[in-house]
This record gives sequence, structure tokens and C-alpha cells, in this order.
Amino acid sequence: MLLYIHIPFCDSKCHYCSFVSYTKNHDLKRAYFEALTLQLEHELQRAESLKTVFIGGGTPSCAEWGYYEKIFDLISPYLLPEAEITAEANPTGATKEWLLGMRSLGVNRISLGVQSFNDAKLKFLGRSHTSKEALSAVYRAQEAGFERISCDIIYQCSIDNKRLIDEDLDILLSLPIEHVSAYELTIEEQTAFYGKEVKNSEEPFYLLIGEKLQDKFSQYEVSNYGRICMHNLGYWMHEPYIGVGCGAVGFYDSRRFYSQRDLRAYIKDPLKTRIETLSRSDLLIEKLFLGLRSVVGVERELLPLSMRERADDLVGEKLTLKNGRYYAKNLFLADELALYILGETL
Amino acid sequence: MKNIRNFSIIAHIDHGKSTLADRLIQECGAVEERKLGEQMLDTMDIEKERGITIKAQSVRLRYKKDGREYVLNLIDTPGHVDFSYEVSRSLASSEGALLVVDASQGVEAQTIANVYIALENDLELIPVINKIDLPAADPQRVKEDIENSIGLDCSEAVEVSAKTGEGIKELLEAIIEKIPPPQGDPKAPTKALIYDSWFDSYLGALALVRVFDGEIRKGQEILVMGTGKRHEVLDLMYPHPIKPQKSDKISTGEIGIVVLGLKNIGDVQVGDTITDAKNPTDEPIEGFEEAKPFVFAGLYPIDTDKFEDLREALDKLKLNDAAISYEPETSAALGFGFRVGFLGLLHMEVVKERLEREFGLDLIATAPTVTYRVRKSDGEEIEIQNPSELPPPQEIDTIYEPYVKATIITPNEFLGNVITLVNEKRGVQKRMDYITEERVLLEYEIPMNEIVMDFYDKLKTVTKGYASFDYEPCGYKEGDLVKLDIRVAGEVVDALSIIVPKTKAQSRGRELVKKMKEIVPRQLFEVAIQASIGNKIIARETVKAMGKNVTAKCYGGDISRKRKLLEKQKAGKKRMKAIGKVQLPQEAFLTVLKID
Ligand SMILES: Nc1nc2c(ncn2[C@@H]2O[C@H](COP(=O)(O)OP(=O)(O)OP(=O)(O)O)[C@@H](O)[C@H]2O)c(=O)[nH]1
Ligand SMILES: C[S@@+](CC[C@H](N)C(=O)[O-])C[C@H]1O[C@@H](n2cnc3c(N)ncnc32)[C@H](O)[C@@H]1O
Ligand code: SF4
Ligand SMILES: [Mg+2]
Repeated sequence: MLLYIHIPFCDSKCHYCSFVSYTKNHDLKRAYFEALTLQLEHELQRAESLKTVFIGGGTPSCAEWGYYEKIFDLISPYLLPEAEITAEANPTGATKEWLLGMRSLGVNRISLGVQSFNDAKLKFLGRSHTSKEALSAVYRAQEAGFERISCDIIYQCSIDNKRLIDEDLDILLSLPIEHVSAYELTIEEQTAFYGKEVKNSEEPFYLLIGEKLQDKFSQYEVSNYGRICMHNLGYWMHEPYIGVGCGAVGFYDSRRFYSQRDLRAYIKDPLKTRIETLSRSDLLIEKLFLGLRSVVGVERELLPLSMRERADDLVGEKLTLKNGRYYAKNLFLADELALYILGETL
Repeated sequence: MKNIRNFSIIAHIDHGKSTLADRLIQECGAVEERKLGEQMLDTMDIEKERGITIKAQSVRLRYKKDGREYVLNLIDTPGHVDFSYEVSRSLASSEGALLVVDASQGVEAQTIANVYIALENDLELIPVINKIDLPAADPQRVKEDIENSIGLDCSEAVEVSAKTGEGIKELLEAIIEKIPPPQGDPKAPTKALIYDSWFDSYLGALALVRVFDGEIRKGQEILVMGTGKRHEVLDLMYPHPIKPQKSDKISTGEIGIVVLGLKNIGDVQVGDTITDAKNPTDEPIEGFEEAKPFVFAGLYPIDTDKFEDLREALDKLKLNDAAISYEPETSAALGFGFRVGFLGLLHMEVVKERLEREFGLDLIATAPTVTYRVRKSDGEEIEIQNPSELPPPQEIDTIYEPYVKATIITPNEFLGNVITLVNEKRGVQKRMDYITEERVLLEYEIPMNEIVMDFYDKLKTVTKGYASFDYEPCGYKEGDLVKLDIRVAGEVVDALSIIVPKTKAQSRGRELVKKMKEIVPRQLFEVAIQASIGNKIIARETVKAMGKNVTAKCYGGDISRKRKLLEKQKAGKKRMKAIGKVQLPQEAFLTVLKID
């Protein structure tokens, strides 16, 4: 079993972000962690062991490390020896103290929201830190003893140009990190960017990024490069996971469990979830596009005959078939490949 | 009978017929004030949305003058050339017609065309100058215009505004005074002309008739002369703008709706004569020439399973639109569908839209074409309505293509533009007259194929909307024509083939593939789009392979959302047509309409 913990607090809201997070109501933090603990206790009942833990947000570094003690008390009996435990952090929140504290609790991987090392771009994105602060956060994490550090960046913004991206990549390559998540900017509803022309629609930056990162970080998913994050890989493999926290989602027994997204409502009733039951064809479609967007691949035997035939059509030029699994040659085509293989079926 | 007036309203498109009908209905108090609407007689959704009349509509009104009550049977007709058969039918049941002319525009091509139809029917014409409320209105000039171009005396023309209601009373007076009451023998055996029929889901096939002799009574046993079948009259109604009014009989000179409880509309075909079964009239009324479709296009369901649904929909639509013809056909590219005949491009658009809307179908229409006659080398003569049926060149002796006589009226400042355009379309000038100092009437013979595409739009463009246009078929001429094929990924897509003059083949081919390239979205594989004549490729474009289609971020919490996005994309693709491995959007099949 995997475990996801959501921390729905941020210091400010970035222009692109639609994740469940609150910039006010930080006074509810204590109550929130109590509710979270309650839900965690409840959910852990169905776990035998935990392979990975991911503390995401929002901004987990918005809460002092002490808040997490209770959580770790609860999960430690379940943790497998080599468990991967990641915490997301923002550059300014990742203080020496916080990093050391988290590490002492057992966190062994830090994912830093850098987005860019260009100050103009950071401003454009509505980030509350500078490029310099992002750089020093990476080194702080290293000094705090983290061997596994990841940086998130965002690309395809209207402010982007080849040089800007190039410089960001050069910096990433010079840092003591083992992983990069490079996300193409997605315009989400109910964000400051929504309805605005803030995307660059011409340059294929994704090619540049793939090319430059490839020597040090190999691509294992559309947006992910470097040493594989086992937690995310689990998502793409359809592994069962518990999700706790406001707006968190869990998945097991072919069902998804959606916790309440409203902070107060969640605190009031952390056990309340909306359940979505997935049909076999839902699951199949997911296996298809998740497998094709990552190194997970798609098991051939799993596909109905007509889909298998169409997939076989693509072997050679667009797919490879290895050990009974299809793999996309170009992960960036995953959705198109999935659509092709699905054809008229389902 | 002396108090009955039967008349149609005829005019060029948009000169205000339907609005004028509204005012007449209002003035006669046929509809409560609060229920009055705009263009009340345009009842179909498409009519309302497009602001045009497609089907003629009859209404019965009452009007009191000098203590006498008159029955006015008004028929509002469409102005667009595609629907001019509706005008002919309406006029056959009228004694007079209001010739409406827009005071700011003057005589236009369909004004003249409709006048000819009226004169053939020997009708009393009342010139009505409409829209006098407009600042640009110039009733005096328009009257001269009418006198010059049509030779109709306008000294007593009525000036009205269908918008403000000005002049409507005077118009009603003129209708009563000038239009002769119907003639006919009330004692003679029943003789009534079916001038419209349609299908009502509750009442079955309904016949709208004009009674010329005798009367039709409820319960009467009647004979429909063309079919030789007898039926009982279940009900009779007078047409009304909102709800038909029941009646026990329809008397000589009147119009009314006959309910026979029939399932089959073929039993009450337009142009047929109704008479008394026991005491029939000797001779049926001379019917109409059937509206003959001359533009043909393939209609195919996007979802190949829906062929039978399409057949059913066409069967039903035919009940309300007798002018369409259809025959099943197959296309290698599109599967099973129908070759449907239309009266013009607008008619085609309307039919496709109605089929999609009223019957929930998703259809692909192929490029419209005309009927070619082909004499083969072995002497056999065939007609083809689908370019893909054209025999290979070595088997063809001669191809004949249909021509139309086109009448164009344009302000003389655009004369040069119009002539250039018509020359491009292979037109041959037959006549050129100044009907006023600034307006020119042109007559051309043009290959029909050239005008079914986008001629009207082009004409409007080069004359800033000021020219008007009317046409009628005028026979066949030899043409130097070839079949131009479009190949997608190497395969000829039969539904995209067109017949073009040899001299234009090269440039058409180039334009077509270029346009197609813009329309065809990138696919997993590179797609070659070629134009060819026989085995010779004359143009090629390439749609490059897609490089990227994926959502950026996909974490545990939003996999369901991503799945739904993908399903949406899949639904989008389903609206496209798969040709081999290539997905073609619907518009691709009408690309031909979009090139010069
Ligand atoms: N200003 C002004 N506008 C008018 C008058 N009569 C009609 N119109 C406008 O002219 C346009 C066309 O009117 P319709 O009554 O639909 O014309 P029509 O002749 O029935 O058109 P078709 O049925 O398509 O041939 C509408 O926008 C009317 O509002 C008028 O007397 N004055
Ligand atoms: C769950 S967020 C939270 C991480 C942390 N709060 C931070 O901002 O550093 C993780 C990453 O998702 C990416 N992200 C969020 N919204 C995005 C969007 N609309 N388009 C592209 N990437 C986005 C950002 O790179 C962000 O660092
Ligand atoms: S990107 Fe991170 S810091 Fe910015 S609003 Fe989203 S969760 Fe908060
Ligand atoms: Mg009208």
C-alpha cells in the first residue's frame, strides 16, 4: 500500500495552481492535523504495510515539523524497511530546522517546488520566492543530509524562450539532485491564469528539455526524469493507495475515495468520502494511458483482441513490444496512442 | 364567393413578405394582440433562426369593409430561388398576388422570376412598395424601376411599411378592390386542387386544397383522382396562423385542410385533384410539374450503424418536403448512405440540418454535384449524379453538362466585377440591359456545376451584397471535363472526387490539397494528401505526424479526471470519419466548397 498525505496550506496562491490549498485559515492548522490523524488512523486499518509515503500539498513546509510527529508515530509500524518517504517543500519554507526535523522523522526524499531559476518568470508565475532562494534551498536540503532531492519546474509559459529554458536546465544539471519534474504549464479553471493567453504555443520546449536532461536524468514518465520516484510510479501502475487529508484521493478495490475539499468541512468530518466506482473499461482505459505515458507499459494480454490488433499495428514505428508489454517510443504521444488503440471500442 | 379573396405574397428574399403577412394578420385581428409575433408564419426552427421562409404558409383571415365581411386567404411564399416551386404552387391557388418590393432596394432577380410565374398563372398583381420607413427608401424610383423592368403599371402601387403598419389599411382596400373573387360553380361536382400536403404525427397526411368547383363536406366520400383511391373526409379545417379552425365544409373558392386519416402521404400528392367519389368531375385540374432536384450530394451517417435510421429519417422528411429525392449508395470511404437530390445549396443545408436536428443524426455531406450525361465509347448513354461513377477516360466518348440561364441584376458600378466573375465561371453572355440608369440586368448561360458551389456568395462579395441572382436549368452542352480524385494516404477517397473542366483541373487540385492540409488534423502518422487525375498525381501536400498529445501532470488524485478528458477526446474523434488509419473531420468532405 502507498500513502498520500495532503497539506492544504500555502503562503500565497500561485497563478497557475488549482490544488486544494488555503492561504488563509492557518489558525486551523492544529485542528486540521488532528482531523488528519483521525482519518489516517482509520485508513491505516486497511494497510498491511506501506511501501511509500508522499506528503504533498499545498505546501507541507507551511507546517512546522513538529506537526508531523504524531503522523509518523502512527505510520512507523507499517513502514517497510526501504520505504520511500517524500515531502514537498517550497524554497522559503524549507528551512534548515524544518528539513532536519523532517529528516529526523524519517523523510528521505525532498521535492522542491522551484518552477524556474529566472526571477522574472517566478514573478510571472506568482511565486513568492526568488531564484536565489530556490538555489540555496537545494543546498540546504543537501546539507541536511538528503540524498534524494527533486526539483519541479514549469515550462511552455508565454515568458519562456529557448535561452531561458536552457539556463534553467543548465542550473538543474549543476545541482546535487537526482530527479527533475518538468511540467508543461496547464491552464486550470479557477486560477489567475484561466482565460488568459499565458502559454507559448509554438516552441517545442519539451524536446529541448528531454534532450538536455537525458544524460544525467533519464525520462521515465511524461514529466519525470532521473531516479524513479516509487510513489508516483505506483500511481501509474494502479497500485492501491490510501489518501488522507483535505482534498486527498485514495484508490483501492477498484474505487476512488475523495475526501472533502472544503477545509472546515473536512475538519468536521474527516472520514467522509465520496466514492467513485470504476468499471472494468474505466480501469482498462486508465491502464492504457498510464502505461503509455511512463515506463510502466501496458500488458498485451490485458487488451481485448481488437485493441491488441490495433496496438500491434503500431509496434515498430510507435510502440515497442517487450516481454509481453507495449511501451510508447515517445511518451509525449501517450494520449494519442491510447486513443488509437481504443479505436471505436468501449 | 363574392367576398373571398385568394392571394399570395411574392417578392425577392428579405423584401418583407412574412413581416407584411404579420401586419395583415394583425389588422384583421386574427390573432390576439399578445400572441402576435414576428414572422409568425415562419414556424420551423430553421426558418426562425435563419430569418428566411422555406415553406409557403396559408392563412384564412376575415376583414370587414363597408359592413361586409370578406374572407382573405393569404399565402406567404419563400423568396429564395431554391424554394420557388413553393411559389408556383401557391400562385396556382390564388387569383392575385402582392408583388412586394423593398423601397430601399428596388427590383431584384427573384422579383422578376416570381412575376413571370404570376403572369403564367394569369394573376392580378398589386405592386406593394415596402419598407418606406427606411431612410434609404425611394418609393418613386422603385416604381419607375418596376415599370421599366417588368412593365407593370405602378400608378396605383401601394406604399407600406410592414414594420410600422403604415399603409396596411390602404393595402387591404386594394386587395378587396383589385383582386377578383374566385369563380367556379358551387353546383358542379367537387373539384379541388391539392397545393400542399404534409404529415402530422396526430392527424396523418394532411392535404391543403383550393376548391375550384362544388364543395368538400365532412363525411363525404372523395376520390383522389391521380391515385384512383377513395377516402372518407374525417375532418376539415381552415388554416390559421396559430391553430387551424374546424369547419364542416369548404366551399367553392375557398382553401382548407382536408383530414383523411392517411398514413401515406403519397395518397395526397401535391398537384392531385380531389373530387366526389360518387359524382366525380370529368377532368382533373392540371397539376404541377414535380419539383425536380438538380443538385446531388451523398449523405452518410458518421456512425456507420445508423444507415437504417437515416433511411427512416429521409422517408419521414420526404413527407414534409416532397422535393427531395434519395437513393441508397455506397462509398468505399464512407460506407452506406444515400445520394440525395436537392433544389439548391440552401435546400441541401436545410435538409441536412433538419435530418440532424429532428432525427438526432450526425451526417457527413459530400460535395454537391449536378447530373452529367455521358456518352460512352460503346454508344451507351448514362446519367451520373456521383463523380465516382464516371467511367474511366478511355470508355468516355463525350460528357455533357447541365447549364442554367442565370439572371443577375447589379448596380452598374459592380458590372465589371460581375462580368469577371461570370467569365471565370465559364458563363456566356446572352443579354445585358439597363433597367434603370444605374442598374443592369444580365443574362448568362453558365454551367450549373459552377453555380451550385459558391457562386452566390462570390457574387455577393464582389458586389458588396448589392447584386441579386436567379437561375433556371436550360439544357445540356458538351463539356471538356475530367474527374479529379483526392488521395489520402495513397488511397482515393471516392467521396472527395469531383468533376471539373480540364483547364481548371491543375489549379483546383492544388488548391484542394492545400485546403485539405489545413483541415486535416495531425495524426499519429504522416499523411500524404494528393490530387490526381487517373493515375497521374498533380498535387501533393503532407500533414506531418503529431509530435505530442498528452496531459502534463497526472498524479494519483486526478487520474479519473484525466480519463474523462481522454474520453472527451475520443468522442471528438468519433465525429470524424476514419479513412483507413486516417481520421478526416466532416468539413473535409465539403472542402471543395471552400476553394476558388
Ligand atoms: N425597416 C423595415 N424593415 C422591414 C420591413 N419589413 C420587413 N422588414 C425587415 O426585413 C427583414 C426581412 O423580413 P421578412 O419578412 O423575413 O422577409 P421575407 O421577404 O419574408 O424573406 P424570405 O421569406 O426569406 O424571402 C426582417 O429583418 C424584417 O424585420 C419594413 O417595412 N421596414
Ligand atoms: C502539488 S504542487 C505543490 C508543490 C509546492 N507547493 C510548490 O509549489 O512548490 C507540485 C507541482 O505541480 C506543478 N504544478 C502545479 N500546478 C501546475 C499547473 N497548472 N501546470 C503545470 N504544473 C503545475 C508545480 O511544478 C508544482 O511544483
Ligand atoms: S504551486 Fe505550491 S505553493 Fe503555489 S499555490 Fe500551488 S501548492 Fe501552493
Ligand atoms: Mg418570409
